[in-house]
Amino acid sequence: MDSHPGDTEGRIDRRTVLAGLAAGGMTATSGCVRQVRSVVNRDGAEQLSLTITTVPSDADRESIRIARILRDNLEAVGIDVTLDMLAIEEFYRETLVNHNFDCYVGPYHGDMDPEILYELLYSSFADEPGWQNPFGVTSLTFDDRLEKLHESPDEGRPEHVAAVLDVLADEHPFVPLCVPEELRVVRQDRFDGWNDYHLATRLGYLDVEPLAVDGSDPPDELRGVVTDPRLTVNLNPLCVEYRNRGTYVDLLYDSLGTADSDSDRNEDESWSGDIYPWLAESWEWEDGDDGAGSDTGDTTDVTVTLRPETSFHDGEALTADDVAFTYRFIEDTSLGEGPVAAPSPRYRGKAAAVESVEVLDDRTLVLSVETGRKAAKRAFTVPVLPKHIWSDRTDEADVFGFARRPGATDAVVLDNVPPIGSGPYRFADSSERERLHLERFDDHFSLAVDGLPEPTVERFTTRVAPRSASAIELVEDNDADVTVSPLESYAVEMVSETESVRLHRSPSQTFYHVGFNLRRAPFTNPYFRQVFARLLDKAHLVEEVFEGYARPVATPLADDETWVPEDRRWGGNGGGDPSAPFIGSDGTVDVTRAREAFEEAGYRYDDRGSLLVVR
Amino acid sequence: MFIQVLLEVIAVVALMLVVATGAVVGRRRIRRTVAEYRLRLRAVAPVFVILATVSMFNGVARQVVPDISWMIGWNLTWEIYDLEGEFILWLQSFATPPVTAYFSFVYIYGYVFVLVFPVVAYFALPDTRPLRELLSAYTLNYVLGLGCYVLVIAYGPRNIMPELVEALMYDTYPRFQHLTRQVNRNTNVFPSLHTSLSVTVAVLAYRTRDAYPRWFPIALVLAVSVALSTMYLGIHWAIDVVAGVGLAFISVTLSTRLVGRWSLADVRSHASKTRRIVTRGD
Repeated sequence: MDSHPGDTEGRIDRRTVLAGLAAGGMTATSGCVRQVRSVVNRDGAEQLSLTITTVPSDADRESIRIARILRDNLEAVGIDVTLDMLAIEEFYRETLVNHNFDCYVGPYHGDMDPEILYELLYSSFADEPGWQNPFGVTSLTFDDRLEKLHESPDEGRPEHVAAVLDVLADEHPFVPLCVPEELRVVRQDRFDGWNDYHLATRLGYLDVEPLAVDGSDPPDELRGVVTDPRLTVNLNPLCVEYRNRGTYVDLLYDSLGTADSDSDRNEDESWSGDIYPWLAESWEWEDGDDGAGSDTGDTTDVTVTLRPETSFHDGEALTADDVAFTYRFIEDTSLGEGPVAAPSPRYRGKAAAVESVEVLDDRTLVLSVETGRKAAKRAFTVPVLPKHIWSDRTDEADVFGFARRPGATDAVVLDNVPPIGSGPYRFADSSERERLHLERFDDHFSLAVDGLPEPTVERFTTRVAPRSASAIELVEDNDADVTVSPLESYAVEMVSETESVRLHRSPSQTFYHVGFNLRRAPFTNPYFRQVFARLLDKAHLVEEVFEGYARPVATPLADDETWVPEDRRWGGNGGGDPSAPFIGSDGTVDVTRAREAFEEAGYRYDDRGSLLVVR
Repeated sequence: MFIQVLLEVIAVVALMLVVATGAVVGRRRIRRTVAEYRLRLRAVAPVFVILATVSMFNGVARQVVPDISWMIGWNLTWEIYDLEGEFILWLQSFATPPVTAYFSFVYIYGYVFVLVFPVVAYFALPDTRPLRELLSAYTLNYVLGLGCYVLVIAYGPRNIMPELVEALMYDTYPRFQHLTRQVNRNTNVFPSLHTSLSVTVAVLAYRTRDAYPRWFPIALVLAVSVALSTMYLGIHWAIDVVAGVGLAFISVTLSTRLVGRWSLADVRSHASKTRRIVTRGD
């Protein structure tokens, strides 16, 4: 700016006045433009808009209903909400692989070990695809406590779990909502033994005992019905978009160990979930059998001996080499050949317990683990992949050489049909969106070893029913023996139990939750998440959406009694959710209080009641 | 289960066809049709072959359409819901068991009947033009509808408001799901082909009301019922139905223009001309 009004002082004539006026005018103009610039280049506070990502009712009836209730509650407190309904594969791809979401509603199907906390929250997983840290949590406090939990010997774990739950209760990277009951319908006039094992695991479909009805031959075919057509198009164990509990993958593939369930437990007793040798004949811990475990930070060696003469479905021998390959492959499906590492979207958290693998001979290998025994055994449940097939799947995923996707390999995008595993059943035939036929793998070790659950029928056929109502009908009409997919809660009332048709209950390993994307505002702000978490009435959801067939939870650990300190449990500290009590009552948000809570967190409202943010 | 339900539908619709043929077409026309059927078959054969080819292609295409849609299509579910979610709720507030039973019947049996009967009825007319128009209009409905399905991803009301709408048909008559899931993919709701095909039939019924005065009112009632049933049962949005009506008019207009442009005689003379040229070349 060249002209200053002060320069003309003392020389007052017409020209000066005019010049002064002109200069003044320019000053006024330049001031005005500066002000305009300041306004134009400033982002005004505008209403906060969020997208809730979820799946349509055909894929998960409960999720879309929770999403709509959440949307109503958020709109009541002045937030603009868009619901994004995606096909289920697309939903998992957008949330778990692309991390392209604000928040989502969906179930988590895991196990009950507190090690899931490490998987879900550990910072260094934040940029990986899959169920390991989908929220993008990056926190020094979390990491410190998660590492302690991860590396803790078994007996020290409860204390470390409590320490993690303390942070979780403040941070709310996701909101655990409830644990739905796992109910199925089974026919007990054709098969017996439904109660021995969990029906979401491989053992649930082994050792079922065919019954001879009225002098006829016992059935040689087990007929399942599912409501999820994805398994008819994709049987890739590493594909996170196509798997829920992985029940069928577990029948097609073996793992070193398998989760057992106590056969004589009561219904309300929790499932032990202990892991016993399966493909491994035995495992021996370097520090002996006293179970003392190692001190934090050290590694322990486990010597694993495989069962003799095991083979894959294509006849190739299964050796310790395949096991070692599997652990390396899960860590990086490009095996170091690609420009970037491509960790598997599934089993990554479980396999993370294994530091290194050393093959001694065809049947023996030594795993170095950095965790306590319980956490290490989870790594034994990873499916063993045949090296001769999967080592050819390390190329970067692309479309005819174009549209390359660094960080993804063929291994995580292939349908893998037919799957070649070593499991008790092998793939026979499938028809897209209609059925999947498996047949018994006659060379499976379980048939040769006494005392192991084994495939008792020649064929395991599965058909796809559109919804639970029709799945129930198939079982009731004796067209199916078991609903492999758990019933949706609305359909439970439709089951009419008879002598031959029974409702079967398994301990649930699933929890519904709202997941936040901590990479994106406003979910970067823990205060925002804290208030958000208090906008859902979990008890009310359980009644409304799950018709009572679920229980509200305050933490992601379904096994409350073992792991969660009393004041962190649902109902602890005076009822409801101790860390995120609902703002309101009977499902209705107390709008005034909720707004006050947001205002306390530093947010502003306009006169129409919209929550404002500067984006 | 699927076969069983299918047979049931075939049996019921066959019965409806017999009754309707007796009442609408009349004995005299049937007698004449028996005498002339070869001639008429020859006249409609080309357009019938086109329709058959398109529906076979349609069957295959529907397997890949969702995959393509998720890559290039627009997901409009939320836009539609935000625009008119209330209308479906309002419509459903009239739900009573007899109404549900009526609309479920219309959605499955009435729909199949309304599509098949005009084929029979127009075949019984000495002039084959209405039949050729009908079949080409069906073909156009499928082709244009498929185009929309590629471009637009939209889930129907039942997929977003399961607690309100689903109880109506699929849970009252769960076996129907086996049928409709085979026929439709759940992302294909825009436009409503149920509506467009039924309205196509009604429009053509209006045009042929001189030949079949009794058919037009039946077709009209059925077409309106089918359109309403898709919304009442929570399968389609009102926007899908409006688009379906639009598609019906486009299909009928186009088919009127196309049919007769190339008559069979032309094709035959063209074919023989080609043959002459080809043989001469030998």
